[in-house]
Amino acid sequence: MHRTDEVHPLRVAANRPDTLRVRLMIAMILAYLAMMAFVIYSARHPAPATIASITFSPAMIALASCMAFSVILTGLFVFMRHGD
Amino acid sequence: MMRKSRNGMSLLLAIAYTFGVSGSADSAQPEAQVRQADVSTILFFVVFAVLTLLISFWTARRATSSSEYLTAGSSISSGQNGLAIAGDYMSAGAFLGLSGAIYASGLDGMFLAASYLASWPIVLFLVAEPLRRLGKYSFADVLTHKLRERPVRILAGSSTLVIVSFYLVAQMVGAGELISLLFGIGYAPAIIMVGMLMIVFSTLGGMRAATWVQIIKAVLMIGGSCIIAVLVLVRFGFSMSDLFKTAVSNHPIGDRILDIRSFAQDGVATLSIGVGVLFGTAGLPHILMRFFTVSDERAARLSVFYATCLICLFFVMLFFIGYGSIALLRGDATYASASGALFGGNNLAPIHLARAVGGSILAGFISAVAFATILAVVSGLLIAGASSAANDLVVGLSGRQLTERTRLQISRISSVALGVLGILLGLACEGQNVAYLLALATAIAASANFPLLILAIYWDGLTTRGAVIGGTFGLISSVVLTAMGPTIWSKVLGLGPAIFPYDSPALFTLPLTLLVCWLVSITKAEPEGDWRLTEPSVARYVE
Repeated sequence: MHRTDEVHPLRVAANRPDTLRVRLMIAMILAYLAMMAFVIYSARHPAPATIASITFSPAMIALASCMAFSVILTGLFVFMRHGD
Repeated sequence: MMRKSRNGMSLLLAIAYTFGVSGSADSAQPEAQVRQADVSTILFFVVFAVLTLLISFWTARRATSSSEYLTAGSSISSGQNGLAIAGDYMSAGAFLGLSGAIYASGLDGMFLAASYLASWPIVLFLVAEPLRRLGKYSFADVLTHKLRERPVRILAGSSTLVIVSFYLVAQMVGAGELISLLFGIGYAPAIIMVGMLMIVFSTLGGMRAATWVQIIKAVLMIGGSCIIAVLVLVRFGFSMSDLFKTAVSNHPIGDRILDIRSFAQDGVATLSIGVGVLFGTAGLPHILMRFFTVSDERAARLSVFYATCLICLFFVMLFFIGYGSIALLRGDATYASASGALFGGNNLAPIHLARAVGGSILAGFISAVAFATILAVVSGLLIAGASSAANDLVVGLSGRQLTERTRLQISRISSVALGVLGILLGLACEGQNVAYLLALATAIAASANFPLLILAIYWDGLTTRGAVIGGTFGLISSVVLTAMGPTIWSKVLGLGPAIFPYDSPALFTLPLTLLVCWLVSITKAEPEGDWRLTEPSVARYVE
């Protein structure tokens, strides 16, 4: 082993998150919070059994939308940064 | 309110316990009936065990340097890394636990799946590229490019080893109980067998072997899940309506299985779980390690995209498997008791379902894939722990930089030591509910690692003092508040009503850690000319 006494006066400047990155991240967090708010609301105000059909429930659709949104945002970011 | 919080967390921990896939919790069952391994199960298991050992021997010839051993020489392609990351997420916990949670209470299990998936864009937007650009062996590399090396490495190494140890114990206990159930052997032999395989595998092959096993496992896991899901849909003529109708009629809570109930009872508790999962992923050491195995930032970006798609596909298959289990297994005396509890525990839902729709061969295949999953995940944990021990703790404590040879030796020794520790703790924790360790690990990752990483990357004002005090605060507060929560304080320790009402403290500890880092940093400036650059890659970036 050798001592790590090499001292550099340089300091790496902080990265500046670009606009696209910030916007997409805020969009993801908002979408997630919206999904959470919706499932909490729908659990507290369930549809009456008589009108609830046995297909995909609103909560299922909310979860699926959030999952799809995650994939779409990730893909969008990668696609837009493809040339980097 | 606390009771509501407990409902949600009980489910969370039931899902998390998934890693500790025990049948004891809810097996109403003729254990002897479960403890009989099929020939096909044993055959697939032997094939996978031999295959993993062959991979480790094959890769051992190349693992002659620390960068090859710890990061596969940064030569993994984006597609391979995407599959490996997905493999890390398709753990036995996710596969068995989420399916079991849907079987037990319906859609609640999918809430965590959506949360896990939503965490990947956060990882991509905030940490994936800077990690690849600035780091080499551990996330502490990113911190040390701007902060004093020794204190930061000691802190990062400590939190990494704590997280890895908690995960390891939970995985080992789960592995012992799952293997014991699936292959009809005792708990101790199961732990020792898994532990020995894990040590040989990770010590010899390193990250390249762990990556390839994750890739193979991910393909088999996705393939197996798709086969089960399709066979379930075939039973119902590809009619979702028929599938849901049968499931609703079979389940004692009826159409409530189509909605989220437990998680929606207490908004604050749910939000805290969500914050922990959403930001915790970006602080988990064994996940962050994956970004050092690719060549550049573009590959890191692409690998997250591939992983997100694969994980999404996997969770969709789990949805069908979960509801298929309710529709086909509940009420069938071959698989479940009169109360509806599956023989061997609800976490065995996908294995029972595989047997119901595909016979013993498919069940044997799925059982063996579950075993391979555990082996792959614990190997990745060992390598992440070994990397942190060699590059963070030893360097931080000794104040000396390591030579290539010494780094490799310390990494391998650390890997063996962690493996032995995992076996011993696994044996000591037999029969214990260790799921809270996973909640704790995620809370620490979200409260200690994530804030430091984000501030180090995006804020010039962070000082070493701010990072160390803030990180220590995040580490201690997340451990203490989790310990004072309902699960550990009341259920595990039996000390009466919980002092802190929520099991996941991330909603409070994450912003508080950010605040402490900021406050301490702005009160005293960093002394000039006191930064050490430790790795050539960082020096190149700076120049």
